[in-house]
Amino acid sequence: MKSNSLWKDAFYRLSKDKLALCALFIVVIYFLVAVMSGAGWIASSWSQEVGASNLAPSLDHLFGTDIFGRSVFQKLIRGTQVAMSVGVAAAVIAIPIGVILGALAGYFGGWVDDFVTWLYTTFSSVPNIMLLISITLILGKGIFSVYVALGATSWVNLCRLIRGEVMKHKEREYVQAAGAIGGGHFRKLFRHILPNVGHIIIINTSMQFQVAIKSEVILSYLGLGVQGEPSWGTMIDDAKLELVRGVWWQLAGATIAMFLILLAFNILGDALRDALDPKLKGK
Amino acid sequence: MKAAVLLIGLLCLIISCSKDRNFDERELHLISPEKIAGFDPIQASDMYSGNEIGKVYEGLFEFHPLKRPYELMPNLADALPSVSADGLTYTIKLKQGVLFHDSPAFKEGKGRELKADDVIYSIKRLADPKLQAKGWWLLDDKIIGLNEWREKNVAAPATTYDEEIEGLKKIDALTVAFKLKKPYPQFLYALAMPYAFIVPKEAVEHFGKEFLNHPVGTGPFILPVFQQSNRIVYTKNPTFREKLYPSEGEEGDDKRGLLADAGKKIPLVDKIIVDIIVESQPKWLSFQKARADLLEIPKDNFDSAVLGGKELAPELKSKGIRLFANAQLDVTFFAFNHDDPLFKNKKLRQAMSMAWDRGEANKLFYNSAAVEAQSVIPPGLGGYRKEFRNPFIKYDLDMAKKLLAEAGYPNGKGLPAITIQTRNETVSRQIIEHFAKNLEKIGITIKVGMNTWPELVNKVTKRQHQMYTMAWGADYPDAENFLGLLYCPNASPGSNGSNYCNQDFDTLFKTATLLQDGPERSAFYEKLNETVAVDSPWIFGFHRTKFYLSQAWLKNFKFMEFNHSQFQYLNVDLEVKKELSKKF
Repeated sequence: MKSNSLWKDAFYRLSKDKLALCALFIVVIYFLVAVMSGAGWIASSWSQEVGASNLAPSLDHLFGTDIFGRSVFQKLIRGTQVAMSVGVAAAVIAIPIGVILGALAGYFGGWVDDFVTWLYTTFSSVPNIMLLISITLILGKGIFSVYVALGATSWVNLCRLIRGEVMKHKEREYVQAAGAIGGGHFRKLFRHILPNVGHIIIINTSMQFQVAIKSEVILSYLGLGVQGEPSWGTMIDDAKLELVRGVWWQLAGATIAMFLILLAFNILGDALRDALDPKLKGK
Repeated sequence: MKAAVLLIGLLCLIISCSKDRNFDERELHLISPEKIAGFDPIQASDMYSGNEIGKVYEGLFEFHPLKRPYELMPNLADALPSVSADGLTYTIKLKQGVLFHDSPAFKEGKGRELKADDVIYSIKRLADPKLQAKGWWLLDDKIIGLNEWREKNVAAPATTYDEEIEGLKKIDALTVAFKLKKPYPQFLYALAMPYAFIVPKEAVEHFGKEFLNHPVGTGPFILPVFQQSNRIVYTKNPTFREKLYPSEGEEGDDKRGLLADAGKKIPLVDKIIVDIIVESQPKWLSFQKARADLLEIPKDNFDSAVLGGKELAPELKSKGIRLFANAQLDVTFFAFNHDDPLFKNKKLRQAMSMAWDRGEANKLFYNSAAVEAQSVIPPGLGGYRKEFRNPFIKYDLDMAKKLLAEAGYPNGKGLPAITIQTRNETVSRQIIEHFAKNLEKIGITIKVGMNTWPELVNKVTKRQHQMYTMAWGADYPDAENFLGLLYCPNASPGSNGSNYCNQDFDTLFKTATLLQDGPERSAFYEKLNETVAVDSPWIFGFHRTKFYLSQAWLKNFKFMEFNHSQFQYLNVDLEVKKELSKKF
């Protein structure tokens, strides 16, 4: 019987999982919406008044209007752009830090490992939300600070996982073989070991993505996130006061938008792990 | 067996729940929306601590509970002081036979009589550098010799209270004379604030660090021990002096039934029970269950309590609940940082002011109940003139555009984006969003900067802002407290956070503040208020309104801005309470 490569096999497993495909589809839609909103093709006029203050949802205004008569639907789309961009930016910052530190620590051991372990235990000992708040306070408010803050706090998990995997792999025969034919540290680590632990990065990213989105919402809710742009967090903050007056649509809109993407990422993350982690194969 | 225990427990619970309404004693049920830091008057920097301290401690003077505009009357002092011709020496005679609460701090546990020494001691305590009193600013650089005494004691191992101070003299056992460095017409207001309430030396020394939990005052109620919990229970002070309910008030007070208790000995209730409830929903429910007699309506519940912003909801009306709407002595504003060369441009300031639709803001954020501020001074203070209209607070986009063009920025061209700093709180943010949306119409871009409260204060005191928004509430009923916000020597880190400087204003202000209260001073204040308005040093916002609900059985409630001494005048009608309680 012809055996498939890990990636091919994984893709095959994933394509069999209808729920995961559905989740993937949702994620893709969110990305498309975010890109289109970022390019200014949709929801560019979110700050315009479209009707009276606090109109209930109707065919004209799908999710009603907010206190200033702006369309909640358009604000949701802008919020999607903010949320997705935060997820991507946090991943772009966190993955290199996590992978490089984790790989170096796992491969070299000794004082390098001691240092990296000390660094990430220190980071993880501070409650995450505290760390986020202090970073945004230092850097000043705005979406850029949110990117940096989330990037700088979310590498810890990945770093730990990569470190462990690299430790395991560096004793394997294929690495020893690479050494025997004259491969240096750099070659062994980046050409041989890393491609074999790459699936961890993918699984972890899909998990981290939702953490980043959630954190952005929390920060914006607290007034520390994006400023002057709609975010799901600020929409929920607005709704906090409006709810007693029976204005539920901002809360509902933001919650549904958040719920869908978080659920999708969760399912996708699980499916990816099932598909990519050889230890779970067939279970 | 277990079931039986459970059943008995449940029964006890039901009985205890149903028995919690007391119709034999006059109990006053109040809510405090914040935790109380303790009962040391010199540290009472927030209104809520001040309210609790005012039940057990007293000052030399207090505000009349009924008369408006606010009027000082003697409390521990026997009469209003005699002031020397130069306005520098205040001689105050104390009432005879005022007793401190019984306390183990005194000999045989019996409270002794109040003396002039207690006043001197309490003022010195406020200045004691070791205690870091939060109220020191009140008397800083005011009384001859007090600052020097403070300086001397900074390095000393222990503060020496025995040393005599020139400006703080005992004339006889019941008379004190204060000598001021310069005229300070607000001095008596300072003595009426909780910071300057009188404490006995014995209690401070006996309880040491625990003094803040063992209040020993002369006040109408006693609280032997204060424990950090969600409930504070005060009982009537049995040795309280003969103090009577006032027999005159503002016009119409007798019609409102506020004089029904005239001449009766106060306090009128036997007990005050204060529940500390921070969240607005439980506060609201507690009032609806008649577990509180008085409630400041939480903003979130406004719409369900007050229909259309005016009428009390029928289900509340049917229970006899009454609504009180009261203009506050405050002003909200957007302040420019006048250090920024951009805002030296008067036309730009005026254009921004005219582009803001205050009518809409009032509707969205204050239920249309706030008064648009024409200038700094709120209604209710000398210096406010009802007829005065500031031409630059009118919403007029065409005029705003014209002014902006004259300022050199036609349609906002060439004008950088302006960031306004505010508190990170929902409504504060929404107000700026509204302002930004309005100013976009004339081509000005506004950005929001969100800050925690200490951060915002820090930015303002360090001048690290372009614009900021805040509200100012009166410390005492004198327009000086508001006009001072635009006085150049008060610039940051002082209270003039906008760093506005205007020589003509400053000269006039200096003259006015040295005058004693009267029509002459009010005329000065009017002129100051109206000339500065046109210069648009700020974008003026609103004078807000506070809404209270009171149960039908609560008597004598009248809104007071400075209400720490108010509770002794409140009364409970037990008959009405018994009758109406069935409806709850």
